[in-house]
Amino acid sequence: MAATAKEGSPILGKEGLMLQTLAYGILNGLLYSIIALGISLVFGVMRYLNIAHGSLIILGSYGSLYLFRLGLDPFVSIPILMLTLFLAGILLFHLLYSNFVSLVEGLRIQKSLLVSFGLMLVIDNGATLIWTSDEKSITPFYSGMSFELFRGFHVPLISLAGGILAILVILALHLFFSRTYFGKSVIAVSQDPEAASLMGVNVKRAFLISFGLSVCLGAIPSVLVGLQAFSPSAGIQWFNKGIIVVMLGGLGNIYGVFPAGLFLGIVEAISVFFFGAPYREITGLVIFVLVLILFPRGLFGRIPE
Amino acid sequence: MKRQMKKVLLILLSMFLISLPLVVKSQYILSLMITLFIYVILAESWNLLGGYTGQVSLGHGAFFGVGALVTRLLWVNKIPMLLSLPLGGLGAALLAAIVGIPCFRMRLAYFPIGTLALSMIALLTVSNIFIAATALSTELLKSYEIFSRYYLALFIVLLSIIAIHYLVRSRSGLAIVAIRDNEQAAAAIGIKTLKYKTLALLTSTFLAGLAGGIYAYQHVSYYYDAPFDLTWSFTAPLTTFIGGISTIAGPIVGSICFLALSEIFAVTLGQVHVLIFGFCFILIVLFLPGGLLSMKMGTLKNIKKRMEKAKADS
Repeated sequence: MAATAKEGSPILGKEGLMLQTLAYGILNGLLYSIIALGISLVFGVMRYLNIAHGSLIILGSYGSLYLFRLGLDPFVSIPILMLTLFLAGILLFHLLYSNFVSLVEGLRIQKSLLVSFGLMLVIDNGATLIWTSDEKSITPFYSGMSFELFRGFHVPLISLAGGILAILVILALHLFFSRTYFGKSVIAVSQDPEAASLMGVNVKRAFLISFGLSVCLGAIPSVLVGLQAFSPSAGIQWFNKGIIVVMLGGLGNIYGVFPAGLFLGIVEAISVFFFGAPYREITGLVIFVLVLILFPRGLFGRIPE
Repeated sequence: MKRQMKKVLLILLSMFLISLPLVVKSQYILSLMITLFIYVILAESWNLLGGYTGQVSLGHGAFFGVGALVTRLLWVNKIPMLLSLPLGGLGAALLAAIVGIPCFRMRLAYFPIGTLALSMIALLTVSNIFIAATALSTELLKSYEIFSRYYLALFIVLLSIIAIHYLVRSRSGLAIVAIRDNEQAAAAIGIKTLKYKTLALLTSTFLAGLAGGIYAYQHVSYYYDAPFDLTWSFTAPLTTFIGGISTIAGPIVGSICFLALSEIFAVTLGQVHVLIFGFCFILIVLFLPGGLLSMKMGTLKNIKKRMEKAKADS
């Protein structure tokens, strides 16, 4: 194990290094949460599995890159991206997913999974054709800067801004789900579509808006991923991160994604500390498979299957 | 009558494939045929699981890769091919038993996502552990010739087609199809669903491992993680759906189309064939669930019906 090699790290001291690692983990975890939120919204409410979610995020990153080249700050471009992605989501729903609304649950998952699988292949390979498979990234003037939280404890500015943004979005969504009529109706549909429709909720419209909202939520990870590095093939990796968080949080439990996202981020960060960076991705995946086997309802699952 | 026709057709086709290397000496065409065989085995094995059993796997590349890895390591270390190939298949089935069976215990989308995660774990682990490319020793390189590879691949293709054909028509096969159509109903009439799903999973992954073994046998040099690439996981469902899911001929037709397209675009535009196949895949899932094969039969039937109608009218 590499742990022994790092034990006497002189630069920061063990506690400092651990703290730094933890901070990175939390910030990454918030990013995962936001991605997972988009997937969970669709999966929890509609029992649709949208594998192309990651690819749509990468598409957003390219959009953000173009806007940046036109002189727009990546964080300012978020609202524009949100609107565009929302419309794209509505369009995609009408074109591809609207036929499955009346299917039974299992079939709905399978069909939407297959269609989004095809969509993912089209987006990824189309993006490779247009923009080549090179890795790109958005580099505003502040991209290398870091923020000193307290003495000797630095956090990259972009990650910090992303984390704050993520928390704001989470709060906004919470207000949306708990205070507005439409948000409540979405929760009702996720719990029992039939009962909701008997209570006068327009289920199809709830589906449509949820799907649009899910794709629209991708705008924030679009920019955050764009500020790191992205290539057409990265979509499936981000989707994987997201779905792992969704499943850790418990399927159909929209609020479960936040603790689960933080959990995954922190576990990954700690694993870097112990096993080294190449095994970071694997740790997350292995934990996912283990949780799948040991706790099939997810770590924070509330709604029983 | 129709079944007889099919049998005759299959025998003729296999006769043609067996005699092909006697006529065609081109290395290029023969190695293309081996690649086609690999696609067909992989797609047929996926079809057993995704088509007949209804368990969509998005990570068949992991089993393919494990088969390739095990076979290659054994073969390079001087264990005869005829032994290392089945061992590679067994390795793949073992991996499936460890990860796949727990996934089966759960409903919803756990199986596709679990297998997708598995294939990513496998890809990352292998690319971290085996950094260098694998190459044959001079001894093995000297004895390299394409015919043995061609016939071995052909043998496995025929084996897997026949195995799947008889498995699906057996009592177990009926149970497997019943599980796909309605798992709860199948369990209610006393079918041990987990047992039959496991049977399908192990058979399917064993065949996928054999396909990987042929890949390892065919290629002189490749990176160890190449057979673990996600494209392998994705081509299997693509070709199966486009040809026609839950049929024996579907994966074959799909694989031929896929390989032909990829050869056409190989020189000009790298990944265009996947793009085209992605489009076709969406269209087929939405409008033509039976794939290309059903379209052919369906259109013929339609034409017949129209003709009869026209006759009745006149």
